[in-house]
Amino acid sequence: MTQYILRRLIQALFLLFLLSIVMFALVNLAPGGPLAGHGQTRHVRPERIAMLKRQFGLDKPLPVQYVVWLIGNDWMQIDADGDGVPDGYGARKGVLRGDFGFSFRTRKPVLEEIALRLPNTVYLMSITMLVALLIAIPIGVISAIRQYSRFDLAVTTFSFAGQAIPEFWLGLILILVFYAWLKNPFTGEPLLPPGGMYTLGEGFSVRDRLAHLILPVIAGALGWIAWYSRFLRSSMLDVVHQDYLRTARAKGLDERKVVYRHGLRNALIPLVTMLALDMPYILTGAVFVEMIFSWPGMGRLYYQSALQRDYPVLMAILILSAGFMIISNLVADVMYAIMDPRIRYE
Amino acid sequence: MARSKRLIWLAAAGMLIVLVFGLASCGPTVTEPAATQPEEVTPPDEVTQPGKATQPPQAAETEVVAEPAEEKTSITLVIPEDPPSFNAIVGDTGYDALVMNLVMLGLTGVDAESKVYPELAAELPTVENGGVIVDEETGTMDVTWKLRQDVQWSDGTPLTADDAVFTWEAIMNPETGTWVRGSDYVDSIEKIDDYTFVFHYNTIYPGYLTQLGGEQLVIWPAHYCSAEEGFVAWECGRQPLSTGPFVLQEWTVGDHMTFARNPNFFEPGKPAIDEIIVRIVPDDAVRKTMMINGDADLNMWATEAVIKELQDAENVEVSISPNNRWVMRLFPNQAAKGTTDPAASPHPILNDVRVRDAIRMAVDVDTIFQDIFQGFGAPVWTEFYRQPYVCDIPRPAYDPEGAMALLAEAGWVDTDGDGVRECHGCLNANEGDLMQIELYTYAEYGEPLELTQQYIAENLGAIGIEAQLSIFEGSVMWADPESGGIEQNGDFDLDLWDDGYSGTDPTDYLWELYYSEAATPGYGWNIVRWINPDFDALLDEAYTLDEARRKEIFCEMAQIMDEEVPVILLFSTVNADAHSTRLHGIQSNINDLVSWNAADWTVEE
Repeated sequence: MTQYILRRLIQALFLLFLLSIVMFALVNLAPGGPLAGHGQTRHVRPERIAMLKRQFGLDKPLPVQYVVWLIGNDWMQIDADGDGVPDGYGARKGVLRGDFGFSFRTRKPVLEEIALRLPNTVYLMSITMLVALLIAIPIGVISAIRQYSRFDLAVTTFSFAGQAIPEFWLGLILILVFYAWLKNPFTGEPLLPPGGMYTLGEGFSVRDRLAHLILPVIAGALGWIAWYSRFLRSSMLDVVHQDYLRTARAKGLDERKVVYRHGLRNALIPLVTMLALDMPYILTGAVFVEMIFSWPGMGRLYYQSALQRDYPVLMAILILSAGFMIISNLVADVMYAIMDPRIRYE
Repeated sequence: MARSKRLIWLAAAGMLIVLVFGLASCGPTVTEPAATQPEEVTPPDEVTQPGKATQPPQAAETEVVAEPAEEKTSITLVIPEDPPSFNAIVGDTGYDALVMNLVMLGLTGVDAESKVYPELAAELPTVENGGVIVDEETGTMDVTWKLRQDVQWSDGTPLTADDAVFTWEAIMNPETGTWVRGSDYVDSIEKIDDYTFVFHYNTIYPGYLTQLGGEQLVIWPAHYCSAEEGFVAWECGRQPLSTGPFVLQEWTVGDHMTFARNPNFFEPGKPAIDEIIVRIVPDDAVRKTMMINGDADLNMWATEAVIKELQDAENVEVSISPNNRWVMRLFPNQAAKGTTDPAASPHPILNDVRVRDAIRMAVDVDTIFQDIFQGFGAPVWTEFYRQPYVCDIPRPAYDPEGAMALLAEAGWVDTDGDGVRECHGCLNANEGDLMQIELYTYAEYGEPLELTQQYIAENLGAIGIEAQLSIFEGSVMWADPESGGIEQNGDFDLDLWDDGYSGTDPTDYLWELYYSEAATPGYGWNIVRWINPDFDALLDEAYTLDEARRKEIFCEMAQIMDEEVPVILLFSTVNADAHSTRLHGIQSNINDLVSWNAADWTVEE
């Protein structure tokens, strides 16, 4: 097993390297560029563009740009002032030495930008996932053991709706209802805040934090609830008709034990795998939820970087999520082997 | 089974750890609001200045601390994204200029009537007051600036000419600086005494008044900013010292910024507001709802649709700028699509001035701006439509019949009756070619522009020109030639977008859009590749301080451009900002962001 994991990790590194080349090419070759005007200026003066190119390192051919991105340019002479004569070594260390460069937009180190947002996203998404699971598992189980009951039909309908409703629409409706329409009957204030993580100017309070979490978590979790409950329902249905459940019943175990100890335990195996694969979302966040609820997270950073062609930030987020995706995959495989003794990796 | 049980516990424990990590991570942001009270004027503590004395700036602490007993006035601004920094010329997003206005000032500003006024300058240098000395022989000039002597940075250090010289040199650094208007014309900057310095120009530059001022440029503190980090990236651009009416207290990226009143502001009794909170709210619908609900006081850049909607809201008003800056326009490419030399490869359809004129006559501008742009803005048909340069050019009539006659005269006739004209004796196309063009616009503007594009296509269809529509991202449309920029590479027939200039001097703007040298890809923005030596000569001559002559020159230009139709101007879009009724003194300004006069704002419940 250890050997297997080791082998997979080495493969993962190689895969990540290949991926980084592909991503770098895709990001850079996509039409458009970071030097185009936006906001206040439609047409940017060429003198300025030439300067920006040098400052961003975009004046080099693409393969060189990739090498600089990977291993830095502190070993090569660069022409920083644009007079055509190299005048010193660069300052970039490269991704392999933990330097992801600086954001074109803010000129701050990319990792600093990410560090500012990552915790907020992990905070929101882990709670969203947890809530989704806590609701989806019981729903899935009940609708499987009472297949075609009214509850099951209602849940099935809800699931389709939940998967079909776009997050941004749901988010806006929630804000309209709980912020614009409904008022707190005692204070006359809106029932729930329209966004943000906490109320400005008030000290930390769990109550305030929770109030800010409710709407984004609902908007974010609904899709997951629908998806996980459907998933669990079908894997539970598979299990319900297995012989070992009949045996358990024949042994005289009470129904609760049959369902939860023998049934659910086995039905959860595929769900755990699925969950491991969904883990990267905890890091990358949900763009629409963050946009609508003014949540300062990774999703928004990614969206903004993509829109404004902030290549270094874009690359860092892509590489980090690719790495996490590969690791999650590995974890899923390992989990599978541990939970289902019939599976062995050699 | 036992093993899998352990595993589930492990997974659960993992989830919990993630959760705790998530909650704990919010720790620092939680404590910040509480921590801000005592040290009002200190910029946030992360400021570290390598090689600089890091004495925390603490001026006049007592004055502010005395206040909290009273009810403090606080207003909330909502903007969709974080400013990249406070250095507006670098980020150029508008959001940076919005917050920059709160804390930092330049030599001058430009008001809503397009008049330049002194900010940190003691007075405006002119030829009359001896501030500007022109050497007619060499065609050069010197501009002497005198600074106010009563200004100090929020750490108590006085503002001096050293700061101005330091700022200019940082901008001009070829490695870490940036290009600004007029920088090619400045030979050097020279300090005379602590409050006086001179710009030496190698030409006569009429835009000198906003050289270190206007919308995007301010004076930076020499004792606080690090020249080593460089103008475009320096940390003091994120943790600035103030000369302006407010002081940055806190910036939680992605969430909000808090500004407190600057007790050392040089204008006595100002500002009247104690606290400004800038909240980052990405969604426009949410920002609008917050305005209506009274949780936000200012939402900048209100679009026509938003203005219309907010007109009924009780507690919201909209400030509309007295004049407009952005003019929606059509760019007809005079070179064939994909080429950039109109002489070698003229555009088969649009190189003929009669065709361009026919398109101008065929577009129903009134309907577009009345129905799609809600009647805000105004029709515009010449670049010289606003003060100080207004030229009397008669408005071209909306006349589809006339347009059709003109097209027939130009050799474009529909002989087969399919509704699309073909070339029969036209100027540049092959006999029998169809009159088909592509009409592009950009995506970010949203629905109004898309509807406009469709409506213009209908207008063109009505006179027998078939237009195919595409929409591109701005970052594709305006990218540099190497990145495949559509405009730079001339990869279009007819494009629809808005442009304009701020301030009072159009010369640089005219050069960029119409001068023949600017038609070279990667050299300028004469993307329609209009080459006109008469225009060039007039523009060269416009670099003078003789206002009367300038007016003549610009109106001669207007005449040429009216005849040649290099660009088809359509209408101006509104420049407006929505604000709560309790907030007074808001004046939308095309030459600057709405916060240009933040020192004068007041709150009245």
